Amino acid sequence: MFHLKIKNTHFNSPIIAASGTFGYGNEIEGAIDYSKIGCIITKSITFEERIGNLNPRIIEAGNGMLNAIGLANVGVEKFCKNKMPSLNKLPTNYMISVAGSKKSDYQRVIEYIENNGGNHIGYEINVSCPNVKEGGIEFGVNKEILSDLTSNLRDLTRKLLFIKLSPNVTNIEELALAVQNAGADGVSAINTFIGMAIDYKTGQFSLSNIYGGLSGPAIKPLALAKIHKIYNLVNIPIFGMGGISNYKDIIEFLRVGSSMVQVGTLNYRDPFIICKFYDDLLKYSKDNKIDSLSCLTGDFKI
Amino acid sequence: MFETKTKISIIWSMRKWTFKYIKWRLTTAYPNGWKFIILHPFIFIKDIWHYLNWCQMIDRENN
Repeated sequence: MFHLKIKNTHFNSPIIAASGTFGYGNEIEGAIDYSKIGCIITKSITFEERIGNLNPRIIEAGNGMLNAIGLANVGVEKFCKNKMPSLNKLPTNYMISVAGSKKSDYQRVIEYIENNGGNHIGYEINVSCPNVKEGGIEFGVNKEILSDLTSNLRDLTRKLLFIKLSPNVTNIEELALAVQNAGADGVSAINTFIGMAIDYKTGQFSLSNIYGGLSGPAIKPLALAKIHKIYNLVNIPIFGMGGISNYKDIIEFLRVGSSMVQVGTLNYRDPFIICKFYDDLLKYSKDNKIDSLSCLTGDFKI
Repeated sequence: MFETKTKISIIWSMRKWTFKYIKWRLTTAYPNGWKFIILHPFIFIKDIWHYLNWCQMIDRENN
């Protein structure tokens, strides 16, 4: 019913499990129906292993969630050795999220994985990381840096290359255009908004890192606006995300321009929620005689 | 969409979670995973309580 295609890759479902919300992808194997998940995006992988930030690093915040996990992951070597063999056997697609603090970090991770092989369909580049060579500025907030990074990574792989855009910028659409011109196959929009929480009685910050990324239903209207702006300027596929909490939200994200959607924070509520969204979406499509979801992409009225 | 569940039924629904998944959730929340729970059981119980409240709010707000 939900067959979609991006470049030469087929997807059985328009719903993707967002990076960092579904482990490395195989933790729930045997308990979930993978055929209802179009793709799983792994936790962000860095070249070296990282333990991440100190506790507390994830807190519930209103109708959303604040996290400052700090890219905790096993590093590319252990990922290829211990995680990829079982990911390669999953009955669905998976993409690898890549992070780094220098351009060379991203390059080394992709080179290592490419040399190792694997059935992954591509890479999602997490550019919401501080660039240590540029004084800590995030890769994702500067057009020139982002464009340079994208074109360098494009040269390293023929698999799908998606750039996960940060919403903490003035004109996200200009950054999307820059990565399109640099050779990206698509963009994931949006990553988390910078947020914080504090105890009103004690003045104690809730996160050890002080600042964290806000995700969940609280950011949905902001995410829809960002995706709509991107859709109006670029013509590469968009993986829309930001607070999806039911099948109606999925349709809204498609209508503003997403080709597929990612579910993130709600996986923390229930790791099986994507299957429910899929069933609800299927029922809605049948009830409304919608043959193909791609006809909903960009189907909005002014 | 889903109905707002009681805290007990939210905990009951976690029986489907695999051991690997629980381990991943714990290491995501706490840098040293299981060890943190053993060393700080009261903080863990408080965090679980917050989490269950949050689950109920997510159910209620997004129904």
